[in-house]
Amino acid sequence: MFAHDFLEEAAHHNALLQVHPYTKLLLGIGSIILVLLTPNYIVPCILAITLSIVIIVVAKINLKFYLKLLGIPLSFAFISAFIIIFLSEGVTEIWSLQLFPWLTLTITEESLNQGLHVFSRVFGGMCALFFISLTTPMTDLFGIMKKFKIPDLFIDLSMIIYRYIFIFMEKTRQIYLAQHMRLGYTKPREAIKSFSMLFGSIFITSWDAGENLIHAMDCRCYNGKYAKMITSNPVEWRSLSAVSLYLFIIIGMILWTSG
Amino acid sequence: MQMHPLIELKDLEYAYPYSSPALSGISLRIQRGEKIALVGSNGAGKSTLLLTLNGMIRPDRGIVTFHGNPVSYDRASLRKIRQKIGFVFQDPDVQIIAPTVWQDVAFGPVNLDYTDELVRQTVHNALHNVGLEGFDKRPPYHLSGGEKKRVAIAGVLAMDPDILVLDEPTSMLDPAGSEDIMDLLDELNHQGKTIIISTHDVELAYLWADRIVLMEKGRIIASGTPEEAFSDKELVRRARLKTPILLELSQELGSRGMKIAETLPRTVLDIIRIIEQNHHGSICLSSNGYGTIHVGDVDQISGPAIQTILARASYDTIGVMGSRAKICARQWGLTPDISYAVIDKCILQAMNGRTSLILTTGGMISRVFERVTVFNQTNNRSIPIQSLIKSENSDDLPGV
Repeated sequence: MFAHDFLEEAAHHNALLQVHPYTKLLLGIGSIILVLLTPNYIVPCILAITLSIVIIVVAKINLKFYLKLLGIPLSFAFISAFIIIFLSEGVTEIWSLQLFPWLTLTITEESLNQGLHVFSRVFGGMCALFFISLTTPMTDLFGIMKKFKIPDLFIDLSMIIYRYIFIFMEKTRQIYLAQHMRLGYTKPREAIKSFSMLFGSIFITSWDAGENLIHAMDCRCYNGKYAKMITSNPVEWRSLSAVSLYLFIIIGMILWTSG
Repeated sequence: MQMHPLIELKDLEYAYPYSSPALSGISLRIQRGEKIALVGSNGAGKSTLLLTLNGMIRPDRGIVTFHGNPVSYDRASLRKIRQKIGFVFQDPDVQIIAPTVWQDVAFGPVNLDYTDELVRQTVHNALHNVGLEGFDKRPPYHLSGGEKKRVAIAGVLAMDPDILVLDEPTSMLDPAGSEDIMDLLDELNHQGKTIIISTHDVELAYLWADRIVLMEKGRIIASGTPEEAFSDKELVRRARLKTPILLELSQELGSRGMKIAETLPRTVLDIIRIIEQNHHGSICLSSNGYGTIHVGDVDQISGPAIQTILARASYDTIGVMGSRAKICARQWGLTPDISYAVIDKCILQAMNGRTSLILTTGGMISRVFERVTVFNQTNNRSIPIQSLIKSENSDDLPGV
């Protein structure tokens, strides 16, 4: 239930930590854009597989952890693709089954294409997103936001939110365990009651934390400013050119497969 | 003309809404360079009193003066006071507000409108001071309790306060972590900072503080040296505390007819001395006489040099004093035997015929020499103490 810090934990220990965030973002965001531009399902699949290999082999993310992570969005994508394949209209019929007099499941070439397309897009897009979140810690992203001139208010807020996520998750875990030890989740009715109590206490905790935050900031002469850290290694040409080459190859593939 | 006390509290009264008074009739003078411990049970008003010092709580009645001027509660003056009086919360998770260590320590300096260069410099120095170099990019949830506490202290140090106020600095730490923090506070006090802590750990307060302020139900019931404050059993009972074990021991020894000196014992060393005086000489001086205390300056010795010295000479005990020395020891792969109250423990070792090595930095070296010399003079002893560098230069390595 509380796998919250695993993503950040992994990001802080990945082998690409020292690579400049620009390079990693270029690869991640570039891949997402290319996935959205491709008209077929082959290129996104290639993208997804190559990115996964990069995540596991180069960034040295634990394979089991990665597959578990990927399983969550892919199961949703699989169900959606399944429905699209059976229910969307098409001309060339491949297979059909009359389940009830009023419902016929038909797979057509077009629907199959469309289903695979949706699935592969989700697959590719998720791999690209996971690449970013598994190799770039949030703290690096805050520095990037500052460089891209995103308003301070937005960055400050997200930094505070980021800081407190961990505190609240820890609090939630403690309360949840305390409820569990006193058999709070044994019956369904009981579970609903316990769950609502959990949220109630978290709300009060967060209210308290907010007041404490203001005191802590006041104690240190808060004057509307929040320090930003922009320290990364310089952009490395080797990794940057490798990323650019990869993106060019993908573009080439898109052009080639779409004729 | 008499100097103004650094902070003076006069007849403070304060009550939280809908509850009984948290502070009543509080008057206290705090002088520059003091080490004060507020000691009392839970709910005695310690934290509330500390929060009035930097204007976080405005007392209902009474005045707080800082450098002789009454504190005013407008935004600009509060900012000035809070820069000069650094407050470290009990729970570091409350105090650490930024997603990385560097950003958190930089929070104060940035809000004080330092230039970027100065911010970098002060943050670097503050982290250096508390022994957390290289932790810049670490997120706080990855740190241990002691490290979080250090980050919190660094965040306050970065604003260069004259006074450090710490609410229960050791309440969430393991014993070794607490000793480290108390050693750090000693070091900061040595650098000229006035330090005020609250605690209900009587042993810790008894050993560490220059002055103890006992509190009970929002009132100060005693203020004086640790010996004075804890000697009165009635006061200690009223404050829901207990007598420090060393004091109790000496009281019990005294009641059994042992001669106890004017000054009550504060350390194990003092107790040993009392027993020895009654014993007319050392309890049992080992055949080779006193052990030597060697003092090394980590700024002047390199890691390999220490390793060769350690390989050639054998020390029974290695003590490390101060954060910088601790960092060096860690880098050199040394595991110190003592990291708190180092000098006293090494004198104890020396009296028992064991040699010891104290690694420390700069001004603390003279402190070690001073302490041992004073001890020798007052107790008519001759514990030898020598600097590691000198003995190395004269090629007369100790213990070889």
